[in-house]
Amino acid sequence: MQYITNPLFGVFLSLIVFLIGQWLFKKSKGFFLFQPLFVAMVLGIAILIILAKCFDVTTATVYAKAYKPGGDIIFWFITPATIAFAVPLYKRNDVVKKNWLVILLGLVFGTLFSMVLITLVAKAVGLDAVGIKSMLSQSATTAVAMPLTKAIGGNASVTAMACILNAVVIYALGKQLVKWFNLNSDPLGTGLGLGAAGHTIGSAFALEMGSIQGATAAVAVVATALVDNLLVPVFAHVIGL
Amino acid sequence: MKKEKTKSAPILVQMFIYAAILFVAQIISDLMPKSFPVPTPVIGLVLLYVLLTFHVIKVEWVDSFGSALISLIGFMFVPSGISLAANLKIMQTQGLQLIIVVIASTIILLVVTAYTTRFFSWVISKVTNSQLHVVDHKKVGDVK
Repeated sequence: MQYITNPLFGVFLSLIVFLIGQWLFKKSKGFFLFQPLFVAMVLGIAILIILAKCFDVTTATVYAKAYKPGGDIIFWFITPATIAFAVPLYKRNDVVKKNWLVILLGLVFGTLFSMVLITLVAKAVGLDAVGIKSMLSQSATTAVAMPLTKAIGGNASVTAMACILNAVVIYALGKQLVKWFNLNSDPLGTGLGLGAAGHTIGSAFALEMGSIQGATAAVAVVATALVDNLLVPVFAHVIGL
Repeated sequence: MKKEKTKSAPILVQMFIYAAILFVAQIISDLMPKSFPVPTPVIGLVLLYVLLTFHVIKVEWVDSFGSALISLIGFMFVPSGISLAANLKIMQTQGLQLIIVVIASTIILLVVTAYTTRFFSWVISKVTNSQLHVVDHKKVGDVK
């Protein structure tokens, strides 16, 4: 076990599973289930489960002792990378200045309608009250969503999982979703939607689609953090959870 | 967009700017009240945006390092994905329902936000267009 508690193990494992994902994605000519991030996640978890069996400890222990030290090093870079979205945002300042009212209204009401629909879906599949509460703040980034969930009485680690899966879903299905719902005809809304649904990953995805989409997605990441802080507690109170 | 012949700043200078903004953002984030958490990256994004808008920082001082960071974002989320290994217990009990709701929520957030925005931009363009017609009636007529 001592061989894998070095932080280099986590860095090494992350790189190798992601590279395998990229290779599979290229070989399969872009099959959506072979999105590098999704492959990396499934393979990485599988490897940790196998290691746990080998060392006869729980998977959570292997994760915390062996993977997390290295994983945290990579994870840390998300912070400067998120800050870097200020650059594409600044480059399309014209769009933001011209459309600030549409952006604001779209995000506030978009978040509100989404919360209503999410609650309905969650009730339909039979999630309990704690589960539903953990689903409400998904449009915010993990660092905002987790304390919010805790404040309204949900399970913060379920929310964290949801925020991660949001990114994976956008990464894997983004292209198809944009096509199916004919989103690309309106770059402003597409950018905001991608930022709200996929957070930082959604913004990177939006930036690949175009500079307007990328800029508005960055706005969405910032603004949903504030909008959710204000809306989620009120909404949870109103629907009486 | 203007096309200028500009040299990007050396990579260490760019790193320094990001590090400085991160440091200040961290301090501001710590000062926010517990009931209204705003994470460091969000404050940092706003901070860099404001500094760029007021031309305190030039875009070529932060552009190439920023693009490099953004291009690696898919990889940076690998540890978050693998961190689910620590929560396998929740997945065993309510996993299927949770995954269904999360996938549905992602699609809902994307589509509903996009279409709500489209609706408001339609409304606002209607309102401003009708005002423009009143004010610029002559101009519109001239074009025709």
